[in-house]
Amino acid sequence: MAPPQPQQVNLSPAELSFLRSTLCQAPPVRFDHTKGPKDFRSMRAEYDVLPGANGSARVALEDGTEALVGVKAEVETSQWRPSPDARGSALAPDAEMRDAADDEDAKGKGQNSWIEMSVEIPGFRDDDSLPVFLASMLTESLLASGGLKDRLYINTRFHWKLYIDILLLSPPLSYPLALLSMTTHLALLTSRLPALKSEKDEDPLFDDDWDAAVFLYPKSKASASDDKPPVIVLAMGVGPNIIFDPCMEELAVADSVLAIACANATASSTRARIVSVRTIDPPSHLTPPGVPNSMNSATGGTVPASSAEALTQRELLANSGVWTPPRGGMKRGLISQVVKMVVEEGGVAEEVISALQAIELG
Amino acid sequence: MEYFSLKRSNAADRGGANLSSKVYVRSTKSGKVQKIVRELYLRKDIPCSSNLCKACLDIAPADFNQKTAPFVLSDTPAGSKDYPNGIYLVPDTNAFLTGMDLFEVENAFHDVIVLQTVLEEVKNRSLPLYHRLIALTKHENKRFYVFFNEFRQETHVSRDSGETINDRNDRAVRRAVQWYNEHITHAVAARSKKQTRVPTVVMLTDDKDCLRKAKADKIPSSTLADFVFGLENADELLDMMSAAQDQREVRSKKTELFYSEHYTISKMMTGVKAGVLHQGIFNVSPYNYLEGSVHVPAFDKSLLVLGRENGNRAVSGDVVVVEILPQDQWKAPSTKIIEEETVNKNDNPEVEDGENIVSEKERKALQEEVKRAHGQSTEGRPQPTARVVGIVKRNWRQYVGHIDRDSIRTASKSARQQQMVFLIPMDKRVPKIRIRTRQAGELLGQRVLATIDSWDRDSRYPMGHFVRSLGELESKGAETEALLLEWDVQYKPFPKTVLDCLPAEGHDWKVPASTDDPGWKGRKDLRDLLVCSIDPPGCVDIDDALHARKLPNGNFEVGVHIADVSHFVKPNNAMDKEASQRGTTVYLVDKRIDMLPMLLGTDLCSLKPYVERYAFSVLWEITPDADIVESHFTKSVIRSREAFSYEQAQIRIDDSGAQDDLTAGMRTLLMLSKKLKQKRYDAGALNLASPEVKVQTESETSDPVDVQTKRLLDTNSLVEEFMLLANISVAAKNHEAFPQTALLRRHGAPPKTNFEELANQLKVKKGLELRTDSSKALADSLDLCVEESEPFFNTLVRIMATRCMMSAEYFCAGTQAYPEFRHYGLASEIYTHFTSPIRRYADLEAHRQLAAAIDYEPLDASLHSKSKLEGVCKNINVRHRNAQMAGRASIEYYVGQALKGKDITEDGFVMKVFSNGFVVFVPRFGIESLIRLRDLATPEPEAEFDGENYVLSVKGGVGREVELFQKVKVRITDEVEESTGKRKVKLTLV
Repeated sequence: MAPPQPQQVNLSPAELSFLRSTLCQAPPVRFDHTKGPKDFRSMRAEYDVLPGANGSARVALEDGTEALVGVKAEVETSQWRPSPDARGSALAPDAEMRDAADDEDAKGKGQNSWIEMSVEIPGFRDDDSLPVFLASMLTESLLASGGLKDRLYINTRFHWKLYIDILLLSPPLSYPLALLSMTTHLALLTSRLPALKSEKDEDPLFDDDWDAAVFLYPKSKASASDDKPPVIVLAMGVGPNIIFDPCMEELAVADSVLAIACANATASSTRARIVSVRTIDPPSHLTPPGVPNSMNSATGGTVPASSAEALTQRELLANSGVWTPPRGGMKRGLISQVVKMVVEEGGVAEEVISALQAIELG
Repeated sequence: MEYFSLKRSNAADRGGANLSSKVYVRSTKSGKVQKIVRELYLRKDIPCSSNLCKACLDIAPADFNQKTAPFVLSDTPAGSKDYPNGIYLVPDTNAFLTGMDLFEVENAFHDVIVLQTVLEEVKNRSLPLYHRLIALTKHENKRFYVFFNEFRQETHVSRDSGETINDRNDRAVRRAVQWYNEHITHAVAARSKKQTRVPTVVMLTDDKDCLRKAKADKIPSSTLADFVFGLENADELLDMMSAAQDQREVRSKKTELFYSEHYTISKMMTGVKAGVLHQGIFNVSPYNYLEGSVHVPAFDKSLLVLGRENGNRAVSGDVVVVEILPQDQWKAPSTKIIEEETVNKNDNPEVEDGENIVSEKERKALQEEVKRAHGQSTEGRPQPTARVVGIVKRNWRQYVGHIDRDSIRTASKSARQQQMVFLIPMDKRVPKIRIRTRQAGELLGQRVLATIDSWDRDSRYPMGHFVRSLGELESKGAETEALLLEWDVQYKPFPKTVLDCLPAEGHDWKVPASTDDPGWKGRKDLRDLLVCSIDPPGCVDIDDALHARKLPNGNFEVGVHIADVSHFVKPNNAMDKEASQRGTTVYLVDKRIDMLPMLLGTDLCSLKPYVERYAFSVLWEITPDADIVESHFTKSVIRSREAFSYEQAQIRIDDSGAQDDLTAGMRTLLMLSKKLKQKRYDAGALNLASPEVKVQTESETSDPVDVQTKRLLDTNSLVEEFMLLANISVAAKNHEAFPQTALLRRHGAPPKTNFEELANQLKVKKGLELRTDSSKALADSLDLCVEESEPFFNTLVRIMATRCMMSAEYFCAGTQAYPEFRHYGLASEIYTHFTSPIRRYADLEAHRQLAAAIDYEPLDASLHSKSKLEGVCKNINVRHRNAQMAGRASIEYYVGQALKGKDITEDGFVMKVFSNGFVVFVPRFGIESLIRLRDLATPEPEAEFDGENYVLSVKGGVGREVELFQKVKVRITDEVEESTGKRKVKLTLV
């Protein structure tokens, strides 16, 4: 579980209480009142910003947070792993036998260690929990979607090693996971690897023409069904409502937060797929509680004698409008509702992925 | 929201941008693959370099001295029929690749604009052609100008999406031509209103698509052939175009393939790394053109490559990758002489239908080989054979040869018909080259220089083109030039930049009179020593001089003084670079090709008698028993008292009447040298022999009149001993001072297998034992190889033993372990060359290192760098060997000339026996020659070959046995060898 994040929201209990009650209305009124619950913040994006990298992207959100991602690929020698079916061919390379299996060659041969990710956030050390946690969540979703690591396979002796360097250019105003994920998605989508000229188990030899380089995520005409990198969206639950892409202030009153990694529809599955789901400890847990009049001696109340008593009293006052940091997790019904909203046709996942695709095309 | 893009200017805002970039993938040796982005800063101040243009003169960038480079292109270029106002040529890459020889012609192709795009493409395609092109651009009269079109804003072309690199480059060429035409028109208009003669800038290309597009854009263009056709002497010029291209078009219809396809580079490299395939240099046997060998690092012995098919289009000298054949295809090396012209006499260069890669006759010859291999036991054990699967690097060069008379259809000089003829290279290891020519009649009987352009799978012989004619066969000029070209000897006169490095005083240069002069700094004044030099008669480049005198303590002081060349040739100037390229002086019978300009070699450096000269001296204190007490090195000034020839010195020493100090010194030297020599032999030094003859030439015409074997006098070995001693002393000193970078010379111990055959021959024929476990053992057993009745037998064995040795080589100390430094032949732990800096570059480097070792001057950086020194060593090793070969070839030619028209009977010895011939060595003339069975009688007599006893019993009318080491009487006449066009001595048994 994510450790508490030092994202201080300077709102008073009264303000928090107000925010929460507006968000709990049906329909909810968001912090930016022009947006509905499924609306994302507007953003600016561009790709191929770093000429020396295999792929790169930069995304800036309207609140000023901004991320830059560079993808670099290097050829590495693979450790020889004896596998029952590969042994015979490794010892006596039999060209004929291997030819047939060539297309399917890469399936399942990728390894998790071939992708290395680093996240840099200003003001944090690289071993601080936030960057480490973000990196592992992003890596997890990339690996979980399957196809990527297999695409790094060159032959039995060589593979590509992918270095994904993520740099948050601004301070982490809101929880930056979604931003980083979208930037990474765009960078990977536009990443290219030099075209391979050698065959089979030869030492790899590459075409020196960069224009001949192939996309890491190959593109076909029916671009909707191409395999694409997963993207993580944040959804928060507040009361009965579900709000996507919450801003910093909204997060401060969230009951619970979900990070949902979703991949696009492929030929086999017509709808978007969920790759992984994680709950995230929302910053609202750390907000200072309001003190109700009944517990404040200055307003004529009585200060509870013990902390246990204070807890009981707060429990009773939960719906009174005095701000109490939310506790507990997410309800099952809410989770299934979130999942449905993400994967359904024309749902959030499809919308985000096609929006990112549109950046590249247009 | 304010928003800045992070991107630099890109395709989006190309308009007025002066920045562009180039993206490509680079694979490094270590296997890394990198995306490289090069930024290009486009500029407007790159001049067109036409003398017609004033505007460019103003903007042309100036160098440090505020000078702009002079403009190259003429303001009145030559015109042609189609373009009467004059032409500036812009050839594309293929025009250079196919027609480089054309562009080098003196009397055509002036005012050529070499585009940067083209230059880079040429560099990628062929490095030798690139260097030739660069040399052309430096040639003043040719007026070749390199225009950096990629950097000039107007002519820069960025690649469109989906465009191939080739298309983009073609477009860049067209764009540049277009710009040039506009630019020149403007320039002429600005110059004067009246002038109407505007030169046309014409693109030369053979690419049909490019021509079509040029036409559409109204860009003047022409194919190379069409352009040449409009010139004078078009016939000769057309022959000089590479044949590679048009051949492809003609032959594309046929599908018959003679050779298997080469592997891809990556497949070969993977195989070599994995040890399945092997890489090495392809060598063809001089006796059997169908037998090649490849020495690969994995095995001691070379792998055999038998037959054309297995050779798979490799030409002797190429770096190839081979695959070992299964054991049932292993064969013994050939015992038969197979010469191309006898087997394939009737091949027709024009028609290739119905011929197989192995012609019927070749196959028969090979079959006989196989039979023999199977029937043999110990010596002829089948050896691993291999097949060439790919060629890493072609080492094609220009080949000297002559046109095969039989391959010509019409020899009439008037017929200007193009026909395909064979060029038979002088080097027997190189296959015949198919050449298309219109001047077959004229070329017949001439020495011709040609190159190979391509060797496709569907062609039995390589395809080449004519470069130039050297002159009549057998004329001295043509033959000398031929052998210089064959051995890659740089014989052009020294360029001006080199001559500029000579001292300004010229021949008047003298050792400064005042000892305060900076030239005297650090030098010892040895002018009072009685120094003399001993050299071959007529020697003008005197490298070394000697002196000896008795010391009060009974020991002797001996000095070897070597010309101080390093004083005149400073590191890294033009002269030094030229010398390091040449590597050595080449001595031909009638000619010397100097490493250093004459002024230095024969005057300022040469230790001429009676004048003061700078020297580098090695001084020893030596006991009367020739033990060295102390050695000392110093720069010095000496005055040689006399320059003796070997004979003169010998006479002076032997003359009991001469009792002066100089003669006494020489006698001391002689006495010490004999003791030194004995010590050397005791240590195991070898006394080897090589057939050395001297050609006496008439002084006026240098026509050869007689041939003599060289006589060796005591004084020869006197000089030799002290030079060896000096070399060894200097080697030790240099190695001590620079353990990593000292330039040394080593002679590897020959592998035992090298002597196997000779040892076996001696055992079988003479019952003698050749022991080869050490150089000492070898020297001793060679001494025992004597035959009472035949004093020459010992020399013969020594000559044959010498051929089993490795060749000595220069190396850089850091690249070998100390035990590997050993000089096998001299039985010395360490050795270098120090004593002939006028004629060897290695000695010059050793001088520089020694000067630094004795703190005379700091060492130049180039001598600190191991990699640079390795490069130097590699080059001088090759040059050294080539110089030797050229010298031998020259002697061979002159011996042939001296014997021209003569008919002599002489003694000879059988050196090698084949199943259809044998090699005879004639000591009197130092010649060895092949006598084939078919030379003995016609029709070719039957013969039985006993390979184990080295006996060839000829049956029939001749009816005699020929065995190894046998002394035979031979009749020497001369004939013109058909295969090489050389006049050679011909031997027949008497």
